[in-house]
Amino acid sequence: MTSLSRRAFLGWLAAAVPVAALVRRAHAAAIDDLAASPQAMQALGEAVLPSELGTSGMTAAVLAFQRWIAGYREHAELLHGYGTSKLESSGTTPATKWSAQLDQLDATAMKVGGRRFAELPVARRRELVSAELAAIKADRIPAVGRAPHVALALLAHFYATAEATDLCYESAIGKQTCRPLSASVRKPLPLAASRS
Amino acid sequence: MPPPKRIRAQTAPTRGLALMSRLTGRTVIESDVCIIGSGITAAMIAQKLARTTAKTIVVVEAGDEAAPLAQRATLRDRFLEYGESPWPHDHIDGYEIEGPLQSRSMGVGGLAMHWGGVTPRWSPEDFKTKSMCGVGTDWPISYEDLDPYYQAAEEVIGVAGEQGPVAMDPRSKPFPMAPIPLTYNLGLLKEWASTAGIAMWSQPSSKNSRPYDGRAECCRNDTCFPICPVGAKYSPDFTWNKLRASNRITLYPRTLVRRLVMDEGSARIGSADAMQRGPRGSGTPVEFRATSFVIAAGYVWSAHLLLLSRSRRAPDGLANRSGNVGKYLGGHRNQQAFIELPLRLYPGINGQHSLVTKQFMRKPVGDKYLRHDLRVWESSNARGPRLRNDAGALMLGDDIMRDWRERSRTGVARVRAYYDVIPDRESSLVLDGRRRNAYGDPLPKLAFRDAPESAALRGYSDDALKRLFERMARAGNGRVIHVEQDDGGFQDHPAGGCRMGSDPATSVVDGWGRAHDHENLFVVGAPTCVSASCANATLTFCALALRSAEEIATSS
Repeated sequence: MTSLSRRAFLGWLAAAVPVAALVRRAHAAAIDDLAASPQAMQALGEAVLPSELGTSGMTAAVLAFQRWIAGYREHAELLHGYGTSKLESSGTTPATKWSAQLDQLDATAMKVGGRRFAELPVARRRELVSAELAAIKADRIPAVGRAPHVALALLAHFYATAEATDLCYESAIGKQTCRPLSASVRKPLPLAASRS
Repeated sequence: MPPPKRIRAQTAPTRGLALMSRLTGRTVIESDVCIIGSGITAAMIAQKLARTTAKTIVVVEAGDEAAPLAQRATLRDRFLEYGESPWPHDHIDGYEIEGPLQSRSMGVGGLAMHWGGVTPRWSPEDFKTKSMCGVGTDWPISYEDLDPYYQAAEEVIGVAGEQGPVAMDPRSKPFPMAPIPLTYNLGLLKEWASTAGIAMWSQPSSKNSRPYDGRAECCRNDTCFPICPVGAKYSPDFTWNKLRASNRITLYPRTLVRRLVMDEGSARIGSADAMQRGPRGSGTPVEFRATSFVIAAGYVWSAHLLLLSRSRRAPDGLANRSGNVGKYLGGHRNQQAFIELPLRLYPGINGQHSLVTKQFMRKPVGDKYLRHDLRVWESSNARGPRLRNDAGALMLGDDIMRDWRERSRTGVARVRAYYDVIPDRESSLVLDGRRRNAYGDPLPKLAFRDAPESAALRGYSDDALKRLFERMARAGNGRVIHVEQDDGGFQDHPAGGCRMGSDPATSVVDGWGRAHDHENLFVVGAPTCVSASCANATLTFCALALRSAEEIATSS
């Protein structure tokens, strides 16, 4: 049995029979599969993330997303809000679904272009992703764990980072990092100056 | 049956408790003062009694221990990455209740383990709305009575603050710490507020603007709520750690007090029946006996315990001859606006810090009753990255960043007002006969209700605040993007349920928190509030608790 079919089979089985052990196996298989074929994720990153990240920035963003997937915990207690006694926990792993969606992009690429997704030009890859997102009526960048598509998940993960905010503002804001309190009174330094 | 094993509380014998209970079938723990609850008001009481008296002090907490400081950076990372609770297992299973509970948190340190650390004082007007404005009920104490306890609370928890204009913001001594500095963004927003005729200053906060009391300086990593990973924000565990290390208190976690019991032949409270919680609803009975009992369990669990403690001699519950236990729950309602301004702001510099004013906390003569605070934050609302542009077209790659960058050239301010709601007597907590905990005790049921005068003014209040937001927007050549209102079911910073007063016929405790009906029973902090002001409440709860501690110290 190939890695792909083993993962696909486990994903299907875990969805049909959501026993904890099976779900864990399917999650692990999906992570293994994503790690074993980084080209597809990198290709997806090039299609959906800003090009100004450059190759190294793009790779870093994709790797960070893969680490996020690997670190996902099912049924973890989520922050409970104010005004209600209801508790919430994280859902089943999105990794199996996202991994299958990468397979689907590959399959579509082969069907329409005769080449794997990663081998298509960036513009063509973007068209395929756009078609998939249109099909699921995606209209916003969701929280990573709730992303209905792997492309949205990768976008959501990147755009939640301090790096993305700094890039947008072209300034070293460094949100949610530990920084000297006294420096908060000044305008954040431009990115180029902060890197020099 | 063997006689009960008696323990005179000195050091922490928690581990031995279960063993002794197994051997004897029952454990009795004796102390001078038994504090029920381990949240911030309990910590205030305990530290003051430990410092000023030789009394033995026992603290009983239904929930578990909080994660130690050393683990908080990791817990924060999981929160930021996955939304996981940074305080896992900070609740008791099976406590899903009907009504708007402020939080499920129940553990050592209470809700103040994950508070935002915002510590305004209330205003003198808050304590005399009836005599000044003709609505609500005056408190039996004044702002001036509370001022020294505000100061003491600010020193214990470490408040960094800026003195506002004295007429609006009276205080007899300076803040313990210099204010948290206004960020670059807040500096611009302060100028904007000024053009709208609003004087604003740095929000007082229990966050260290310098190293304080062995804790670190704030490094503005912006997760004060729900978790400060460096200990720059005060949380009660810091006080408990010190008191436990010095053996001045004994804290029993995972121990749920189920009812208080009156002595035979008197109205004094003799004991507290508790259950040391075991797995899957099991438990070991424990009896706490003390000279004085202090209920420091917040606005829900304080009244709930008194109602649970009903007996043949007190069929409506303890401290309840007035029938007001669980009544007059109060809070404030909020309305907020997001205002677009032609300012280049950089959201993320220190996003949880804000500007504040007390300019609207005194009702103008001749106007209808509306009192509110006002705070201003930097905001990324409507300034985040998006998937579709204004025309609805999908964007990917460079288009998203280009669109985001373009929209972020102007800034957004979040402006929020809490406004005062007069509590109705039927804004209340009752025992819910349909829902019970693992030990068969009824859970509480909550419902908030505005007093008629507040209900009649709700439309006026909401409209007046909208007009204020629009005026502010115009002053900055901006526009209101949208306005949000509470739906009315939940009121923020809830309080009440055991209101204080001079008349035992209409109140539960006196101005010191002593139950009118039981000379050795105190209720402290949030539940004793007559009304809930229009500003964050925790500092006031702390000040009230410290004032109560003074009376508890003399109690015998």
